[in-house]
Amino acid sequence: MAPESLLARMFGLPRRSITDATSNATVAAWDSLAHVTLILELEEAYGISFAAEETLSMTDVGSIKRVLRSHGVEWDEA
Amino acid sequence: MHSAFSASSAELRAQLTTAHARTAPSSDAALTALAALDPAAIAAWLLALDSDEAAAVPRARVARLAASVAESIAASPTIVPVTTAVDIIERYGHLLSPEAAKDLAFAARTVDDDQGLAVALDGALERAPANGGLLRAAADIAAARGEHSRAHDLLSRLARAEPTLATMQYVRGARSRLPRSGAQPVRIALLSSFTIDSLVPFVDLECRSIRLEPEIHVAPFNTWERESHGDGSSVHRFDPHIAFLSVAVDDLLPGLSTCSPRDLASDGAAAVDRLLEAAARFVSWSPAVLVVHGLHTAFRDPLGPAGSRHGPSRSEVMASLNGRLAEGLRALPRAYWLDMTEVLVRRRSGAIDNPKMRHLASMRIGEHALGEVAAAYLQFIAPLTGRTRKCIVLDLDNTLWGGIVGEDGPHGIRLGATSPGSEFREFQEYLLALSRRGVLLAINSKNNAADALEVIRSHESMVLRENAFSAMRINWESKASNMIALAEELNLGLDSFVFLDDSEKERALIRQALPQVLTPELPRDPARYRETVEALAELHVLTITDEDHSRTRQYIERREREQLRVVAQTPDEYLESLEIRAEIGTASDRTLPRVQQLFQRTNQFNLTGRRYELGVLAAKAAQSDWRIYTAQVSDRFGDHGLVATALVRMSTDAWLIDNFVMSCRVIGYGVEDALLAQIGADALAARAERLDGEIIASAKNAPARDFYSRNHFTRDADRDDGEWWRHTLTGEPIAPPHWIRTRSLNGA
Repeated sequence: MAPESLLARMFGLPRRSITDATSNATVAAWDSLAHVTLILELEEAYGISFAAEETLSMTDVGSIKRVLRSHGVEWDEA
Repeated sequence: MHSAFSASSAELRAQLTTAHARTAPSSDAALTALAALDPAAIAAWLLALDSDEAAAVPRARVARLAASVAESIAASPTIVPVTTAVDIIERYGHLLSPEAAKDLAFAARTVDDDQGLAVALDGALERAPANGGLLRAAADIAAARGEHSRAHDLLSRLARAEPTLATMQYVRGARSRLPRSGAQPVRIALLSSFTIDSLVPFVDLECRSIRLEPEIHVAPFNTWERESHGDGSSVHRFDPHIAFLSVAVDDLLPGLSTCSPRDLASDGAAAVDRLLEAAARFVSWSPAVLVVHGLHTAFRDPLGPAGSRHGPSRSEVMASLNGRLAEGLRALPRAYWLDMTEVLVRRRSGAIDNPKMRHLASMRIGEHALGEVAAAYLQFIAPLTGRTRKCIVLDLDNTLWGGIVGEDGPHGIRLGATSPGSEFREFQEYLLALSRRGVLLAINSKNNAADALEVIRSHESMVLRENAFSAMRINWESKASNMIALAEELNLGLDSFVFLDDSEKERALIRQALPQVLTPELPRDPARYRETVEALAELHVLTITDEDHSRTRQYIERREREQLRVVAQTPDEYLESLEIRAEIGTASDRTLPRVQQLFQRTNQFNLTGRRYELGVLAAKAAQSDWRIYTAQVSDRFGDHGLVATALVRMSTDAWLIDNFVMSCRVIGYGVEDALLAQIGADALAARAERLDGEIIASAKNAPARDFYSRNHFTRDADRDDGEWWRHTLTGEPIAPPHWIRTRSLNGA
């Protein structure tokens, strides 16, 4: 599953509205609790574990994808 | 990657059009390739299959193709008409993954009318009731179409189907955009030393499952001590009905890991006292019920297995600190201890603690344990909001014992010390324990009464004998009509009932005919019956009174009275033969919990419907211008206990009855008239001129509405702010029933 799909589901947004620029500044529901939840969801979905520093930087979709790739995660671009 | 297949799109499509290929196309690989290359063609092929043909195609293949088509349509919705996407959902939605189902449904949405899509989703949900994607889409459409209660239901189903933190937060967010449901509101405050926000959507879901509209306030992070002072605190302004205080032991005792058990004992006692001081402050200003988390830790004892060899281990010290906390809370009004260790061992899976979240977000309860904690909260919230159901109605065959007595015979059924049979015994033992604390048990079974009674009376392993049941309907009538008869016999509303039956069909019939009855799913495995009933929050109470312990006996005595009624010549003769005695007094510390319970639980003989918190009643009892009357009633068959109470405001010229309630168990005996007559006599002795009262009609209090009119009260024509009645004390006195011997303990 693409990380965009996961975000779309979590925040109830259309899949196609999610771009690399989508961030905690552009999505109102992406508050600090949602951020922790997002980290949990990503770890569960891809079976990985982020370092604390990484979780702090993952505040937009582009950064999330960068960190995921650095963990060797791949997904189909739909 | 499509080039790996030699066949062109046109060739593949040609294959599909041959009759043979419709159900058995040449290969999976070819179809999969075509699905990616030309999703519209595969969509058309899928929709052209009639149901027999579709059944002939392997289910996994259909699911894979539908998923592939769904993905393509979601990515570029214009490749097929909207109606095609809707049709795919209708026919194959149940085979899609939640993710694919959601994407396809959102692609199929139109601006003007989603009626067709809503119907298609309904159809798919019937076959896949827990598909999160279908539920998300259906909830979203219901909300957009203004079907708010349906949207709430679908969101609740989604939360149960996918109880992850992300979905729970999504559901809560989606609800916040819906108008309030109109259900009974309840205000819940959470005070904590750690991040408790993640618990909120779980508590929200639990409350809605018992038809409450929760408003949940989370006090600012780690302000629990300051907030407990009241005075302008956020919780004070919020004015909760109930507050939960959770303080992590490692926040109270930062040295928990490094200190010795002996230091833990002394530092721990001081920490518990800090908690108790906060609790005492809180209940001094707030009328809310306060629930305090017991101490628990996710850390293992550094001393390891040797810990208990050298004096009390850390676990032993923690247990005694919890004892100190529970004892301290017991001494406070409205304060409860929540045994966290017990809550946490009950969870089915997942860790108590998520170390990453503890560090990253100051969470002290792992995400997998939040559902259990919220369920534990509901066991306090349900009784506080009057949701307690009084009676469990039980089926017999395969519910109380294994097998069918009519076929297997009284000795062939499975019930005993070993399995199969021990599961039913364990279940019966739990039901007996419930009945000893006031839950009534009744039977509603399709059986020959003689067969069933033989088991109940003589089977050596039967735990629940005849005297455990307050009423029985064992016959071949429909269970719904039996249920109504039970409600009449026990004088209870149908919303006081929980119905347990192993038959899915009977459960469905009762849910359909009598939705007021709570009919929970019963698992197929009888070994799980017990935990199913343990989890029902609507069977819980916040106080257990003397009346609760003897309730079943009182109903059995009632049955004996009814038998006497049959032989009595006239109603008066019957009432006289009962030798009813009423002791009328005022509420004391010992009787206040029962008084509060009566106000809380009584629906039929309840004049104004006003309910009072225990704290409010305690305050009134201490004031000289208020009096809480109580009536304890007994007769020749036994003791009814404290069955009627009235809250009266005593002014110089007039006494006012704020509310007057009487247990439905004694309706028809005239107890209410005896109590009213005594209040009238006391008011006259105090030289008041009038006794006033109000009636607020509710859906259920018809039995109480003529109370004043038949007791020499006249309607107050001067007041248009409700239905007010007045009785002139110097006129015709209120006559107590001649068959009741009344004794006043007030000395007034």
